[in-house]
Amino acid sequence: MQAGLDLGSVNTKLVVLEDGKRVYQQIIPSRFDSVQAGIALLKTYVDKEGEKPEKLVVTGYGRVNFAEGRVITEISCQARGCHHYFSDKEYILDLGGQDAKVIRKNGNGKVVQFIMNDKCAAGTGRFLDVILKGLNLTAEEFSSAAEASPMPINSMCTVFAESEVITMLAKGVPKPEVIAGLFKSTAKRLANFVESVGHPETLIFTGGGAHYDLLTRFLEKELKVNLVIPPEPELTAALGAALLA
Amino acid sequence: MENRELWTALGMDLEKHDDFLAPVPAIFTSLFLDRPNRPKGMGYFDAVVGDVHGIRVHELYAMKQAGKKVFSTFCVYVPEEIIVATGSASIGLCAGAQFTVSSGEKVLPRNLCPLIKSTMGFKLDRICPYFQVSDWVIGETTCDGKKKAWEILNKYIPTYVMELPQKKETKDVSLWEEEVQEFASFIERETKVKLTAENLAQGIETINNKRLALQRLADLRKHTPAPIHGLDVLLINQLSFFDDPVRFAAQVNALCDELDQRVKEGIGVAPANAPRILVTGTPQPLPAWKLHALIEQAGAVVVGEETCTGERYYKDVTEPADDVGNMLANIAKRPLKVNCACFTPNQGRLEDIAYMAENLKADAVIDFSLQFCQPYGVESYFVGKEMEKKQIPYLRLESDFSEEDQGQLLTRIEALLEMIRG
Repeated sequence: MQAGLDLGSVNTKLVVLEDGKRVYQQIIPSRFDSVQAGIALLKTYVDKEGEKPEKLVVTGYGRVNFAEGRVITEISCQARGCHHYFSDKEYILDLGGQDAKVIRKNGNGKVVQFIMNDKCAAGTGRFLDVILKGLNLTAEEFSSAAEASPMPINSMCTVFAESEVITMLAKGVPKPEVIAGLFKSTAKRLANFVESVGHPETLIFTGGGAHYDLLTRFLEKELKVNLVIPPEPELTAALGAALLA
Repeated sequence: MENRELWTALGMDLEKHDDFLAPVPAIFTSLFLDRPNRPKGMGYFDAVVGDVHGIRVHELYAMKQAGKKVFSTFCVYVPEEIIVATGSASIGLCAGAQFTVSSGEKVLPRNLCPLIKSTMGFKLDRICPYFQVSDWVIGETTCDGKKKAWEILNKYIPTYVMELPQKKETKDVSLWEEEVQEFASFIERETKVKLTAENLAQGIETINNKRLALQRLADLRKHTPAPIHGLDVLLINQLSFFDDPVRFAAQVNALCDELDQRVKEGIGVAPANAPRILVTGTPQPLPAWKLHALIEQAGAVVVGEETCTGERYYKDVTEPADDVGNMLANIAKRPLKVNCACFTPNQGRLEDIAYMAENLKADAVIDFSLQFCQPYGVESYFVGKEMEKKQIPYLRLESDFSEEDQGQLLTRIEALLEMIRG
């Protein structure tokens, strides 16, 4: 049994492999304490399976404070996890809760180059979460955003972007247009981020952010790339950790 | 005279100064003194830091009482030789502390290089005895931020500005020669000492000896296992701007003797397979230790600095000459070999980095830029391209003097080391 534990800022994830096959996976919210969340996840697993995994790799934001396992950064783990699905693809865009990364990997799933944005919420999952929460959307409003014409959001700063959105709503701009604008401006920012590393033909898109269909579509347009998304894109770093264990 | 008496005499804000110095002993102990296997020769430099606002300031104060002057500099282009020739002191200034950044922001824009804000804050807060003991600040025009900040600083302390050209064509070289000649006249006027072939030759020799000692130390870092931590060498490089140049060179040479022995015996501070990192980019002025500390905490060893608190300061010496005119011409020639990002174009720096990486057997290059540093920030583009071409793994980092981003920096550094180790 080899396990990968990804102690993320928003969610904590566990993936367990046996003979290279996935036998267990679980995601729980980190609730500001990813170490405690990691301990809880492992305990749930042990209660169910009766024993601890033989090998454990911990990764993610809380990794340095976790008492067990071998520590590997989320950058190497993400590359390894994505390599499992797309061994012939080079570029990865990871949109996590608190950061965004562009990783270039080689034919062995090893990192050859990476950049990270984790100093500013703009262009991270947090940016999308903050604005979307403030909008109180209905399911119809969310789905009709796909057809709406995007209202550009100019502010680089999450706090200012939030007030820009409030101003738009006050002026009567329909919510779907605001959502479309939000995803389009985020896609533009992420596209520039990717292009500062290179110009891929195919881009692997992972992290919780990869669940937003509209963001994916805008990103494909901006970058003129073919996007591929692994199944359960929020789990690839944990999977990579398990594969490296 | 006790330290506190001295500080009072220098018009310092004692209360704020106490707040500033209070955390330093604990930080210095954990980063430096607690590390195992340090060379004994570090003892002198540890002692200098142990009383960093004491011993040396007393010396400078005594020099002033004896009619000498103290000139403060911020840049490797300023010709210390001329100052030292007159028997006066040339010192660097503290510019790497977060503590004073907020005070600097009272008169400077927030979106400005932290080095400039920190410097300004030290003067406004009156907590740097070196600033307080100085008669003059010698500024230069190596970036727009500094250039304009000198105008404000001049309201608090007399500031002389040397105009450094931005290209290295013939007309730029003559402009700089004129600047050096004017600076020499200014120093003669201020110190009331005439420059002669004798005292200027002495000044050149003193500073050359300091630079040669630092070159010797830098060269010892090419050995595997590394005989000394990069963090210790960084500290020495930082202190090279402050200390008495003759005593300092002697202490560096004594340390090098010990390191020669270590190399012979194959003794190192890190395992032979520890990743070797070359740092390039903006300077790490005292007390900015964060970058080196994190790299070495992650298990790597810093083997060189292509920075102004490193190679750029000591890589070239001044050629001797027979008369004052030719000596000044040679003094002007030395800095123009230094490849600072303030020059355009600056291809020489890329060659310097590639040469150092090869000579020091570096496994990777970390290109560090202080926030809002335009010259180095922009030049990072070419550094990245050059490293790709040479297939040297590299990482670009941007930070300031605050402590908050250490976790984020460490993640990047660890990922780089994972890349190297494969």
